[in-house]
Amino acid sequence: MTQVRYHVLHETHYRYAWPVSMSRQLLHLTPRETPRQTTLAHRVDITPVPAERERRTDYFGNRVEHISVGAAHEELAVLATSTVDVKRIGDAPRPQSPAWEHVRDRLHQVGPAPLLEPCQYLYASPHIEPLAALARYARLDFHRDRPLFEATCALMRRIHRDFEFDPEATTVSTPLETLLKQRRGVCQDFAHFMIGCLRSLGLPARYVSGYLLTQPPPGQPRLIGADASHAWVSVFCPGAGWLDFDPTNCVQPDDQHITVAWGRDFSDVTPMRGVILGGGEHVVEVRVTVMPEGDARPARTCAEATQPLEPE
Amino acid sequence: MPRQLLEHYPQTGPRYDELLSAPWTLRPHWRVLFDTLVRARPEQMQERLASVRRQIRENGVTYNVYADPRGVERPWELDVLPLVIPPDEWTQISAAIAQRAKLLNLILQDVYGPQQMLAEGLLPPALVYGHAGFLRPCHGLKVPGDIHLHLYAADLARSPDGRWWVLADRTQAPSGAGYSLENRLVISRVFSEQFRDLHVEHLASFFATLRDTLAQHAPEGDGPPLTVLLTPGPYNETYFEHAYLARYLGFPLVEGSDLLVRDGKVWLKHLSGLRRVHAVLRRLDDDFCDPLELRADSALGVPGLVDAARRGNVLIANALGSNLLETGALLGFLPRLCERLLGEPLAMPSLATWWCGEEAALEDAIARLDTLVIKPAFPQLRIDSVFGADLDRKSRAALIAKMRARPHHYVAQELVQLSQAPVWDTQHPRRLAARAVGLRVFACASPEGYAVMPGGLARVASDRDARVIAMQRGGSSKDTWVLTHGTVNTFSLLRRSVSPAELVRAGSNLSSRVVENLFWFGRYCERCDNGARLLRATIGQHIELDDIRDHALTALCQHNGLLPAEPGDDIGAALRAAALDPAAPGSLAGGLHQLSTVAFNLRERMSLDNWRVISRLTDELSAAQPSEPGEVLERLDRCVQAMMTLSGFALDGMTRDQGWRFLSMGRRIERLQFMCGVLRHALAAAGDAPDWLLELADSTITYRSRYMTRPQWLPVLDLLVCDETNPRSIAYQALGLTDYLARLAAQFGALEPAALSDAVAELLSLRPEADLHTGSTRLDTLLERLGSAAYALSEQLGLRFFSHSDGVWTGTEERR
Repeated sequence: MTQVRYHVLHETHYRYAWPVSMSRQLLHLTPRETPRQTTLAHRVDITPVPAERERRTDYFGNRVEHISVGAAHEELAVLATSTVDVKRIGDAPRPQSPAWEHVRDRLHQVGPAPLLEPCQYLYASPHIEPLAALARYARLDFHRDRPLFEATCALMRRIHRDFEFDPEATTVSTPLETLLKQRRGVCQDFAHFMIGCLRSLGLPARYVSGYLLTQPPPGQPRLIGADASHAWVSVFCPGAGWLDFDPTNCVQPDDQHITVAWGRDFSDVTPMRGVILGGGEHVVEVRVTVMPEGDARPARTCAEATQPLEPE
Repeated sequence: MPRQLLEHYPQTGPRYDELLSAPWTLRPHWRVLFDTLVRARPEQMQERLASVRRQIRENGVTYNVYADPRGVERPWELDVLPLVIPPDEWTQISAAIAQRAKLLNLILQDVYGPQQMLAEGLLPPALVYGHAGFLRPCHGLKVPGDIHLHLYAADLARSPDGRWWVLADRTQAPSGAGYSLENRLVISRVFSEQFRDLHVEHLASFFATLRDTLAQHAPEGDGPPLTVLLTPGPYNETYFEHAYLARYLGFPLVEGSDLLVRDGKVWLKHLSGLRRVHAVLRRLDDDFCDPLELRADSALGVPGLVDAARRGNVLIANALGSNLLETGALLGFLPRLCERLLGEPLAMPSLATWWCGEEAALEDAIARLDTLVIKPAFPQLRIDSVFGADLDRKSRAALIAKMRARPHHYVAQELVQLSQAPVWDTQHPRRLAARAVGLRVFACASPEGYAVMPGGLARVASDRDARVIAMQRGGSSKDTWVLTHGTVNTFSLLRRSVSPAELVRAGSNLSSRVVENLFWFGRYCERCDNGARLLRATIGQHIELDDIRDHALTALCQHNGLLPAEPGDDIGAALRAAALDPAAPGSLAGGLHQLSTVAFNLRERMSLDNWRVISRLTDELSAAQPSEPGEVLERLDRCVQAMMTLSGFALDGMTRDQGWRFLSMGRRIERLQFMCGVLRHALAAAGDAPDWLLELADSTITYRSRYMTRPQWLPVLDLLVCDETNPRSIAYQALGLTDYLARLAAQFGALEPAALSDAVAELLSLRPEADLHTGSTRLDTLLERLGSAAYALSEQLGLRFFSHSDGVWTGTEERR
């Protein structure tokens, strides 16, 4: 099985109108270990240097870091650098999957031997409320007795067809009902929407946050910060386990997707979530660079030097 | 048996009757109390009722009703007759509640730990993973002593066959134990003989157990053990109880902004720095407790609190995440869980309840809607309970549509016929009425398992046939008397004897927030006093002369922000607005409003008398406003009197601790600024010394007794500027502030109010013959400097002592 090695830079820069006297943040910036993915090196550099840093594993098994900056600051810069190997699935045969109703009924069965792990991702979560309207949308592809894998692929294609990428159309709190009406948004919205459809049918689906390798326009060098962090969907399929679907790009993620964390929705795995004292208005700038090893050195979009990567 | 009392009392009916076992037949445990009622003369009962009302009012017992037009609080409703429960019946209730508390604690332990009950299929995953109250960040949290539930409450109802049922469990921060205690204090006084003769169980040892168990399991280190009671604040519906319990248990009452987390530990922001907190008894909903890991939009919580608990550095009672069990959807699974976890049958049944998130249950609930009550599945959902039978065709269809759209939001519960108990009909001299009752009972963790409070909060519906009892809906309450065959444990927390080592002098338990509020209380009191005096003088002159000849007074009103720069032609109207219109910028009414807000935030530290003066002022503010200048003057007189009363309380009723000192500093800073302005305006107007100058400074009497002449500049200025014995003089304020600052510096380290010290030196060097006259530039400059020194000092105190708590935590979350 072939694999690709990536160097990923993920920079987050907050600038505040007034000094922030205290800041506490939760970071979901460390790529997960999965059967197909190994993290070789990872570090997070923070300016100003936090008074406290503490790492742990969260409820979903993601690596999370808790930081607290006690000194007054007007800017907060967090640079995560990771080296990750991702194995290729390639043209493996399509998984055999049972009819979707069978999966639904199995999971909702009350009594002994429940499938607890997928049940975690079956219900409403802060950003995703299962709704009858979403189930109706999904039913267009979830015909009677259709195999789960096939139906999910079809749903992904439908969402890709029906929805338009538009960073201005939504905010972090746009509800699914609105999305259904306006059919515009960003990858996070598409992932939430697809998860909402699946959960409304009684199927378990989780939100995956990570990175996507993008290709620079032909003949042009790769630029630092040209990429973005990405989000897609994972669906539980008995026998095959969790299968990934990327409705934004209408693909099944393979070796161009790098998984960082998963949860019920964005709120469980927000790359940076925190509270600050003071600060007033703020602007945040996020830049992600995904470099496959062996690729030409990327050009720089600003004067900042690339941090050297060190093994942990 | 004497029938007069029961003439209008229903003798038969579908309900269980707490008083009668058959028509005209008393249950034996009611005999003593009933005989008392029969023998009591009408005046005696009137006196008892009056005493209940008086005690409630005087103790300031309130319950905040969110939608009440009467504002944030309403007097607590309490019926004079207790609910009486005989010993053998109580033994059963008590055992069942202790069992249930133990069971629920084990369930929480499992859900937030290994989740074995889910794996065994005894608890459907939907009820945990689908519940908004299952807080994933709290999974695996260290819970000291494995006690998730320190305080637990159950709502009970009695069905027509006499059996008790559990309607609901209160697992995260049960309210009502404090109200029960307060009810007990009131009712045991009005029926003191009966209370003693009937051997009614006392409540105090229950609270001692609660307190001691918290102390026993709390982590240690960084100074003496400290437990705080965390409240969402004065606007919460049960704030009275928070303050009451905090005082009773001896815990500081704190809000989220009083606490901070540093190095994974919780600290209380104190006047003198930080004090480690070892245990938090919370009245804040668990998802609001930490905006970092729980609800990001909570401004009430403490960022980092979950992590402090995770590291085992603080005990939180009840444990974060315990809200999970407040769902009616769980009730149906308890019997099997009880068999599995305790190896015994569940002693008290729960009212049949189904979660509509299960498709079969939803369809069944819709089919039987007429016989069910539909409730929110999770307390986080703000949905009112609805009785299926009450719905007309249209609203029924609407409800069904809502249930189908979001089935997971609803539970369906069977109806119960609540039992009825006698209440004293206050509209008639001798008459008992029947009202539906429910009973909230409480249990707390103890080294020997769960201890049940012998008593409880009996809740009384507003009418006989009510099916819902909620204090939010205008219900009333009763004391609950649990009788015993044995001897009564007369332990009292209030009378606990204090050892010499425990003697406390000069309250050191002052949080920064309380100090800040005291400081502003002082400033607003003085500001209102000044404003009222100034308006009184100005309006007085306006009435007397039908004109304001003295432009210095109008200028002074403008200087103090009472009048706008362009007051318009109708000066009378502008003055009336300055006095009475809360919406007029800088008005006295607005100032009184601010005063009452600050006082409200200090309520747990205010004596009742203090509080009463303030509520009278607030009442008057919301009453109809007079238009006649004479009536306006009367209002102003009353305001001045009220302010004098408040200042008298501060002088005579408060110990001289740092809190008092901050209050006094607030007062003196305000007065110094005001007097500097007054004197400068009076001096600038030249001419003779005006009468109003002495009046504003409340020094007319002193002046007359000393000089028996019309006001002349030299003696007036001496009295108002230099006389250190005149509590209204400039020197008195400035020297007093210097003294307070020296005391503060001795405790908290140097403060450098340079501007004030220089100005005070200058003040002390004034020479009457050279400087005390109109046109003295030295005097005018000095007054200006003192005024700005007062302003600077206020800022400095704020930065040094208050600044921790005025920040607002805001969430940041980037969008992808």
